[in-house]
Amino acid sequence: MRTMAVIEVDSLRKVYADRAVVDGVTFSVEQGEIFGVLGPNGAGKTTMVECVGGLRERDGGTILVAGMDPADEGVAFRSSLGIQLQESRLPDKMRVEEALALYGSFYPRPRDPGELLERLGLREQRRTFFAKLSGGQKQRLSVALALVGNPQVAILDELTTGLDPVARREVWDLLEELRGTGVTLLLVSHFMEEAERLCDRVIVIDRGRIVAADTPEGLAANVQADQRMSFVPSEPFEIATLEALPDVHAVAVSGDRIVVTGTDNVASAVIIALHERGISVGRLRVDQPSLDDAFVALTRDDVTSPPADGPVIR
Amino acid sequence: MRQPTLEATGRRGPVNWRADRAMLVNEARLLARNPGVVAWTVVLPIGASIVLSAFPAMRAPAKGLGGLSVFEAYQPILIFFTMTLLALQALPDVLTRYREMGVLKRLRTTPVSPALLLLAQLTLILSIALVCMVVMVVVPGLVGAGWPRNLAGFLLAYVLGAWALLGLGLVIASSFHNAKVAAGLGSFLFFVLQFLAGLWLPRPTMPSWLRHISDLTPSGAAVQSLTDATSGHWPSTLHLVVLVVWGAVTTRVAIRLFRWE
Repeated sequence: MRTMAVIEVDSLRKVYADRAVVDGVTFSVEQGEIFGVLGPNGAGKTTMVECVGGLRERDGGTILVAGMDPADEGVAFRSSLGIQLQESRLPDKMRVEEALALYGSFYPRPRDPGELLERLGLREQRRTFFAKLSGGQKQRLSVALALVGNPQVAILDELTTGLDPVARREVWDLLEELRGTGVTLLLVSHFMEEAERLCDRVIVIDRGRIVAADTPEGLAANVQADQRMSFVPSEPFEIATLEALPDVHAVAVSGDRIVVTGTDNVASAVIIALHERGISVGRLRVDQPSLDDAFVALTRDDVTSPPADGPVIR
Repeated sequence: MRQPTLEATGRRGPVNWRADRAMLVNEARLLARNPGVVAWTVVLPIGASIVLSAFPAMRAPAKGLGGLSVFEAYQPILIFFTMTLLALQALPDVLTRYREMGVLKRLRTTPVSPALLLLAQLTLILSIALVCMVVMVVVPGLVGAGWPRNLAGFLLAYVLGAWALLGLGLVIASSFHNAKVAAGLGSFLFFVLQFLAGLWLPRPTMPSWLRHISDLTPSGAAVQSLTDATSGHWPSTLHLVVLVVWGAVTTRVAIRLFRWE
């Protein structure tokens, strides 16, 4: 069975003051996917998803969300899309359960607020004023409000920015639970760990254009980067024995740690070679080229790097 | 950057009474939890009108007030004092803060129209103003300071005056992003309008050029219409037309200027 695209964006363009902030972006998201939109600050991510969410007027291209054009801002469109906005607050003296009841009343088939509070871990706070919630609780309430209308698609913009690591993981757990429910999530982030953990597919946007589109693993794998390992050996040994190994590119000593870089195989090659000499490897650390590396490689700012054959100023 | 207006995003959906009620209940609850601005607005003029009506000297025709007593001259001024404060301070305060906080933007992501929020706020503000007006008429009436002699004219003047002033408040509420700036403008307009309504210089004592200006303002026309009805006449056509024009124009401008962000 063919899966159906819930979001279809074709050649989207948005211009502010003669500068294209979103410049020919094309992608499609399938039903039930968690789709990541990554990019550095100011890359045009928020503008792009706000066009998809019908909060910005586009200057070119087409967008269809569940078969509807966001620009019409129809009731059916608003009912099938939930948006969690960056930096949107509620009145200080509104209680959590009141906010959910109010926003639920706007939709034809709202979710059960009690179930939503339970899932989001806000049951204890249901009588708490908005102003008294912690940052993580506010963010979870914001996610709850985006989902209370039982939307087909939810746009979540920078939802874990500014959260402490515990709160961040709570929000991620919730989204992983949602994965099975058929809701399609468009997740805007500049946080690679988030995308690696949650997203089925990602696009990377830089200066208004898509510079890469793949699975998170696919993106990371495409980066030409050495694997890097470090460890503390059980006894001193000749560094040259490691340098002789074909998988090893470089060896360095940093305090009592040995740092080795090389091919995908470097870790096992080094461990076996040392084992044969009766040396064990302590406090081992191996770093995969991560989505972080991929991100940096993809969005490295060429504009500021010096021209290759330009005059050198001294 | 062009922002879609309220008009452009007017939702043509079926009327959602459930949302309507929820919004009104919610706004009323928030107001009750944060009664500061409104309490002040209400207590001061009610107190003043009751105190004025309690002194027999204030009920006797006074010199220079065209046959009116001090109480009769000030009752309409105080009634619209409350209305103006509520319309120019309380109403814009809530809505501009909602804009500043992103509440309006969040509302935009839902299927309901922001008109629902405006409507809920207008309903609340108008209800409070109405209750105040009734207290300011009934309490002095009961202690013997006299009743409006043309009740129909009185209500007509009140409704049109309320429309003109609330419309003005909506213009501020619709267009400002910064709640402090809106509050500043609201206060400034409040004092100008109260001056022209005759708070410091009752209309009969104004020089004629000033009275002509006052005739064309929402507060001046409203107070004079109410005064005419209190003394048994019908409000003059000029004043009613002035109020209708202010009401219609400000409502239209407010809808045009409405911004979500």
